[in-house]
This record gives sequence, structure tokens and C-alpha cells, in this order.
Amino acid sequence: MDWPFLLDTTLQLLSGVPLALQLAALSLTAGLVLAVMAQAAMVSGVAPLRWIAVAYIDLFRGTPLLVQIFFIYYGLGQIPAVRESALWPILREPYWCAVLALALNTSAYSAEIIRGALAAVPLGEVEAARACGMSGLLLRRRIVWPIALRHGLPIYGSEAILMVKATSLTSIITLTEITGIAHKLIASTYRVVEIFVAAGAIYLAMAFLLTLVIGLAERRLNAHLTHRRN
Amino acid sequence: MTGLPFELLSFGPEGWGQPLLRATGITLAAAVCGFTLGSGFGVCGAALKLSRHAALRLAGQIYTTVFRGVPEILVVYLFYFGGSIALTHLMNLGGFPGFFSLPSFVIGVLAIGIVSGAYQTEAFRAGFMRLERGQLEAAAACGMPPFLRLRRIVAPQALRFALPALGNIWQSVLKETSLLSVIGLTELLRQAGIAAGSTRQPLLFYGVAALMFLVIGKVTGLAFARVEHRLARPWSR
Amino acid sequence: MKTETQPVIVTEALSKCFGTVDVLKGIDFQARDGEVVSILGASGSGKSTFLRCLNLLELPTSGRLHLLGEEVRLREGGKGAADRRQVDRLRAQVAMVFQNFCLWSHKTVLENLMEAPIHVQRRKRAEVQSEAMALLDRVGLTARADAYPAQLSGGQQQRAAIARALMMKPRVLLFDEPTSALDPELVGEVLKVMRDLASEGRTMLIVTHEMAFARDVSSRVVFLDGGVVAAEGPPKALFGGGFNQRFDQFISRFSQG
Repeated sequence: MDWPFLLDTTLQLLSGVPLALQLAALSLTAGLVLAVMAQAAMVSGVAPLRWIAVAYIDLFRGTPLLVQIFFIYYGLGQIPAVRESALWPILREPYWCAVLALALNTSAYSAEIIRGALAAVPLGEVEAARACGMSGLLLRRRIVWPIALRHGLPIYGSEAILMVKATSLTSIITLTEITGIAHKLIASTYRVVEIFVAAGAIYLAMAFLLTLVIGLAERRLNAHLTHRRN
Repeated sequence: MTGLPFELLSFGPEGWGQPLLRATGITLAAAVCGFTLGSGFGVCGAALKLSRHAALRLAGQIYTTVFRGVPEILVVYLFYFGGSIALTHLMNLGGFPGFFSLPSFVIGVLAIGIVSGAYQTEAFRAGFMRLERGQLEAAAACGMPPFLRLRRIVAPQALRFALPALGNIWQSVLKETSLLSVIGLTELLRQAGIAAGSTRQPLLFYGVAALMFLVIGKVTGLAFARVEHRLARPWSR
Repeated sequence: MKTETQPVIVTEALSKCFGTVDVLKGIDFQARDGEVVSILGASGSGKSTFLRCLNLLELPTSGRLHLLGEEVRLREGGKGAADRRQVDRLRAQVAMVFQNFCLWSHKTVLENLMEAPIHVQRRKRAEVQSEAMALLDRVGLTARADAYPAQLSGGQQQRAAIARALMMKPRVLLFDEPTSALDPELVGEVLKVMRDLASEGRTMLIVTHEMAFARDVSSRVVFLDGGVVAAEGPPKALFGGGFNQRFDQFISRFSQG
């Protein structure tokens, strides 16, 4: 085991971590906002809105992320309206195309997570609240959403970890995050195994840390579920 | 350079219909082979994780943690570059100088197989855990030997319980084949890219690729649902 | 201060069907202030459905409903209430205790009690809190005020649920099989609380299988059979035998247990 090489490799790979985390954080945030909007459209009762939301979610969950990235990165430039717009300097950048594609992708999965979490709220507790005269926004704010959050958080945590892994695909459109650097190193040194181990370890470490953070949040929210009967 | 979509997608000499269809076939083939290989790894992995020996359980845990936690594209690179190096060494030792590389299809199937195997391990393991111990005891009580118990009681039920998760894993495998475009396999995404580059119509061809993935996904999803439904009959009231 | 003016609950020809099944086939019912009415019947007789229609957790398909002197404005064909504000307002005065307790799992017992008074009735927190502690003391749960529902036994949860209902200062209390989900040894503690409430003169409607309770505590018994009121009267009359044949058959099944 060539330790100096491994160390040097790891340091080089670590320089890609900030970009990876940035991409993940931006797209998760934007994706969550989009997901809430999609969920609102689904329950709005306005049929066309619902259809659009369902089609949108189906589309981004049913097609590969790489296809979505290529479609946006290579495809946006084909539309004259986009090329001539004020946004073009931003939209031609691989960075923003990547964020856009990742955000749209995660928003579809997140919308499903939100839907599942809301469906998991026990009907009896909602009825008890209605029976006291609660309804509308008050009911949602005090009862439905807090309970749904507790159900959805672990699953959303998994989605966040998947997103961090997904940032690796942005290396294919020239972004130099961890995988991009790894590819460059492998192609030049052919020391595949060491580089794979180093890069893999970094991703595993990020996933582990994320799991810890989510676990902490879960424990704080779930104080009410620990069984300590007298 | 711009032609009507209808022309571009046709099966004639100017059209990209045939190459795209062939590429779709490769996508499907890679997915099926990768998933099947993954099932093999999955059963082994589940056996490891359910074993009585701590060392075996650890090996299984390392397998699932690594190959579920590392991005799939890195695994593809591992097999692509690593596979070529290994093969080259082997051939050189055997007296054949030069550089050798494995066909991208083989590499792709290996990479997908090992990654989906990690997920399928979890699916099989969860399916196994849902079995009622009492049923196994009843089988033992009538004198059924262990292998027969495995074949007639454990495997059928574990498989049925694992089926929904396996369906999701299949959908992931299908989409993962698109990663193989970066190692030169002419599957659907790569072919779409070639067509897009040649005709300067990325929206059309990537759009078609997306549509094909959607259609295949939906059709196979329905097939899975049918099978799940049929196999779940013993438990429906 | 009970005035004998209007009944607190009146239903006229209240009907409810689920799809093709007619569960309630025209119920005429009245309840006055201070009455304790036990609603009995076999499974499927519609008694829970009837109770849940009274606070519109189920929507009647036809018929009329008057609560606390007001007619509840309903839309045609079982489509629900015409005036949601009216429903919320009335619900805040008609409290319900559920078979499965339905305490809000993410809040402590004390928080459960304070939730609706503060956020629906807009009362001041300090006053609500001291009332809540007093009620918890009354049902014997002072020590568990800061516990979460999952940490309580079934009997404790139901007592907390009753305290939660009382916090709304309701004019009517609805009980939907309050002891059916409890282990037998926990039933007594809940029935005791209910007896105390009855002796205070509260207006209570109780769907129950507890025959002894119905006989000893109610001022009136209503027997539902096949979606209609088959028999009605003071408990002594019904339980004395010979008042109504179907009721006698129903009762005999319980004594054979």
C-alpha cells in the first residue's frame, strides 16, 4: 500500500467536496420548494394542475438522471428564446444546468415523500382535532404537518444521501467535484483501486455524517415515542 | 442540418430510428443481465448477512455498505479501468503483450450487477425476516429436512415478500444502464447523444430517449405488478 | 342552570347510506339538558354512525339535525355542511371521546388538553393551564401531565381523552364506545370517571356495550336495530324485561357470555 500516494490522492479528492456539497445543498433546497408546490398542485382539486403535477413527478422519477442532465445541458442551448434571454450566461454554465437538473429530479422524489408522510398521519388524531372544532390551516399547522414531518424525515434523509451520491454524475458535464477529480486521476495514473477506495471512503464518510445529523433531528422530534411506561 | 422529427426518427437511410431501436435493445439486455447477476449476488449477500458466523455477517455488511454508499459511476470506472488493467496483466503474463480491455457490455453488466446485488441483498434479507418462525418449526416437526424446508417453505415466501422491493430495484437498474454510455457502450443514451451531435437536435433525441425509458419502465412496472398480484393471492382476504 | 326550553340535540328522519348500504334509516331523536342517554345495539346497527353524524364526522345523506338550538345547514345528498364556520363553532361546544382515544401523539398529555382551548377557543394560556392541571387531578393523572400518550396505558389515555373533552367546556359529551378498546381490568377506571360526570348533571350520549353501566347510570336508553330506533325508554323499563322483544333477545346474548 503506497501511503504517500494514497494521502496525496485523498487530499486532491477532498478539494472536490465543497463543490459536491454545494450542488447537493442547492438542489435539495430548490427541490424541496418545487416539491411542496407540486404537492399543493396535487391536492388543489383543480384537475389540470393535478395532471401536470402527476406527469411531472412521473417524468422525473421514470427517466435516468443522466438523461435529464444531458437534456438540460445540451438541449437548452438549442432553443433560440433561451439563447437570447438574459438568463443565458447562467444557463450555459454546466454548474447551473447541473443544479437545475438535480433540483428537478429530487423535487419529484421529494413530492412523493411528502405525499407518503401526509398519508401516514393517523386518521383518528385528525378526527379528534376536527371534533374540537379545528379545521383548515389551524388543523394542518398544529396537527397534520408536525406528525407528517416525523414520518417523512427519515425517508427524506435517505433522499438527501442519494442526492449527494447523484452529484457524482455532474462530473460528466465537466464539473470538478470528487468523481470528476477521481476520473482525471485514474485516467492519468491508472491506480484504480487506491483511487476508488479513497473516493469511496469520502462518499461513505459524507453519508455517515448526514445520517448522524438526521438521526439527531429525529431523536429530538420523536421524544414522544420512547416507551418508558411506569 | 435540421430535418423534420418524423424524418429523423424514421427507419430509412437518413433516419435514426434503427440505431435507436438497436441501442434500446442493448439497454434492455444490459439491464436484464445486470439485474440477474445482481440477484445472484443478492442471494449470496443475504445468506452472508443472515449467517450465524460474525465474520460472514461482517463481510455481508461491508458489501452492502460499500456498494450502496458509493456512487454507481465510480463503480463503473472501477470495473472499466480496473478490468482492463487486470486483463492486461493476465494476458501479459500469459505471453500476450499489449493492452487488453474488456468489452464495455461485460464491464457494464458486472458493475450494475454488483451494485444492484447490494440492494437486492437487503430486499431478500427483509423478505426472509418476514417469515413466521412457527411455520418453519411446523415443517421441521413433520420431519422435513433443512434443504427441503428451504426450497418449499422459505424461498417461495421470502421471494414473494421481496418482490415489491425487487421491482423498485429493477427500475433503478434500468435507469443505471444510462451510465454505461460514458464507457463507450452504445446503449440508448449514447446513441441519442450521437444522433443529437450529428443533427444538432439534442432536445428531440434526448427527449426520445427519455420517452423510451419511461415506456419501458411503465411496461415492466405493470408486469411486475401483475406478478406481485398473482403471487400475493394466498394472503389476500 | 338548566332551562327546560329546547332539547340540545334533535334529529328528524336522519339517514345515512354508505354506497348501497343503508346504515341509518330515518332516526328521530331528541336529547335534553342533563340527560345521560345510552345508545345500545348490535354491531352494524348504526349506533356509532349515528353518534358520528351528530358532530358531522359522518355526513347524513338526508334528514335534519339541530344542535344546541340551531339547525345545522346541510348541503343536499350527503355532501356535507353548507357552513363550515357553523360546524366548527358547534363542534367546539360538543366534545367527543373516541374508542381509540386519539390523543395527539406528538404532544404531552398537558399539551393535548390545552391545544383546542387555546387555539380554537382562543382562551388565555395561563387560565387554560391551571384548568388543565385541575382536570388532570380530577381524573387522577396529575403525575402524568408531561408524559406522552405512547407512555400511558389504555385506561390512562382514555381518562386523558375525557379530560381533553371536558376542557372545551362542552354542553354535550359524546362517547363512542369509550371502553371497547381497553383491557378488561382498565375499564373500571374509565367508567368511574364517566359515572362522576353523570352525577354532576352533564349531558352525555354514550354508545356502549357496558350493560351494567347503561342500566345503572343512564336516564334513558335507546336501542338501535337495523338502522332504526327499535326501543326507547328509562333503563328500568327496558332492562326489566318484557318491554321490547328484540331488546330482550339482544340482552340475552350478553348474559350467555
